[in-house]
Amino acid sequence: MFYLITFTLIYLGITIYFSYLGYRRTVTVSDYLLAGRQVHPLTMGLSYGATYISTSAIIGFGGVSALYGFSMSWLSFLNIMIGVWVAFVVFGKRTRKMGKALDAHTFPELLGRRYESRFIQGFSGLMILVFMPVYTAAVLIGISRFIEVYLNIPFSTAYLAFLLITACFVIWGGLKGVLYTSAFQGVIMVVSMMAIGVTAYWMLGGISAAHRSLEALTPFVPEALKQAGHRGFTSMPEAFSSVWWYVITTMIMGVGIGVIGQPQLNVRFMTLKSDRELNRSIPFTAIFILFTTGVAYAVGALTNVYFHNTYTEMPVQAVQGNLDKIIPLYIDRFYPPWFVALFLVSLMSAAMSAGSSQFHALGTSLSRDIFEQALLKGRSVAETTIVTRIGIVFSIFATLIIGLILPESIVAVATAFFFGLCGATFIPVYLFGLYWRRGSKAAAKASILSGFFTSLIWMLLFHEHESAAFGVCGKLFNVKCLAGHPWNMIDPQIIALPISFIVFVVVSLLTRPVREETVKKAFVHI
Amino acid sequence: MLGFSDPWVFAGFIVTILSAVFCVIYGALNRNRGGIEKEGDFREEIQWEREEIELIEKLP
Repeated sequence: MFYLITFTLIYLGITIYFSYLGYRRTVTVSDYLLAGRQVHPLTMGLSYGATYISTSAIIGFGGVSALYGFSMSWLSFLNIMIGVWVAFVVFGKRTRKMGKALDAHTFPELLGRRYESRFIQGFSGLMILVFMPVYTAAVLIGISRFIEVYLNIPFSTAYLAFLLITACFVIWGGLKGVLYTSAFQGVIMVVSMMAIGVTAYWMLGGISAAHRSLEALTPFVPEALKQAGHRGFTSMPEAFSSVWWYVITTMIMGVGIGVIGQPQLNVRFMTLKSDRELNRSIPFTAIFILFTTGVAYAVGALTNVYFHNTYTEMPVQAVQGNLDKIIPLYIDRFYPPWFVALFLVSLMSAAMSAGSSQFHALGTSLSRDIFEQALLKGRSVAETTIVTRIGIVFSIFATLIIGLILPESIVAVATAFFFGLCGATFIPVYLFGLYWRRGSKAAAKASILSGFFTSLIWMLLFHEHESAAFGVCGKLFNVKCLAGHPWNMIDPQIIALPISFIVFVVVSLLTRPVREETVKKAFVHI
Repeated sequence: MLGFSDPWVFAGFIVTILSAVFCVIYGALNRNRGGIEKEGDFREEIQWEREEIELIEKLP
């Protein structure tokens, strides 16, 4: 407890200082003229990485890796290639230029102004407002599971306490210095994850020896999983089996591709001054992702060796099936108390950096996208401040309720759900908005609506994981889901994304393009 | 193959590291590209920044 209190106080002190520094740096326009807002590439890289990678990746996907093994390394590949290189180079550069040209300040606003549609801005803002709390809840559940294991207190108490801390952080100025605090939080995350990665491999005798020890545990894969296509912790699942479809389409592609549609990440590109800053931050972000997700997924898989060698049971059995508790239990049992406390602080960093960016996106979605643009038709009024505050309090409350009603082993699933939903809804309009001048307003509307509703319908009626959980299909048709193998295992994004792409192209070719002057303005710097 | 017998898992492990190396090389090669874009005309950026500060001020 001594270590925890000491580290937490130091951490909070530094966070508050950076928050104040960030606040001071954003208060005057003259700061900008004096290059006061020049963002160092390292700051941008760490901040982007810390917003992208949360407790969800470390606790949730780390736990999933304990079950599915090194097949999850393909997700860390996508995290870097799609989440960093494609996001920065293919999307980020044009997002920055177009964002400035259209004077857009939120992701829904960029889409709304590009296609001259208040509906697009309002609907996108509403979607974020309604569904992002699911992801925020997943992030907070991640750290709460750790607190539950570490302090041996009930999950609901841990969850309530941490949500209260995050709420205080958000309400008392946390949002204004997001860039600097998240960069600092990123440093803590990368240092502690590197320490975990190095020690996990070192204690097992090196990289090859650790992987061979894990391979020897293939016979201990749970029988039900073996029958569903699991072939061991160092093998990919059997091609086209249930496990294969789930791991590839939901766990790897859901988050790996869906990251492109994440509003709290895309908005970061607009704050940069030039492509040079963007180019320079790519290496830092990529290394950050490698040392956080790469390590989390590898260590997640290796926990099998530790638990089996020490307790002769697999981690999934040690946590009674709750995957979200595997990484917390591993850290708690195999590391010295001071390190466990330090790791908890790094999880706090991960949760707060992602959480505050999410609340930032929620706040701006409500104030700017829904209230000012969609409801007030572009007018800016003093009441916006009050509406934003009510909105943030409401979303904190929604996060609280969602977090308490979600079942166990949910962190990675809820994250993949939100990433997949954003991917299917936003990627086509976003990509074509940046690259295709012919795209029309009607096409953008149709694409967003088709991506969103196809995802929802697929989730509620066809994809077994969600349809069984929500129970709508059961009530309507008296069956768990309407589709048989393999359709019941294919992630909604894999179905909805191609549909929203096709809808965009077809409707664009059939309808009037966006006005020439708007297109010219949007592409003026490109 | 680093203790992996499945070539797909080995490939996943390697391409993860290679993708990070690729990003480092890309960043290094392009570190000076895209610096000056509009010959010192920052009116648009200043307008954007003014609006951004207004937006941030409305947050808690």
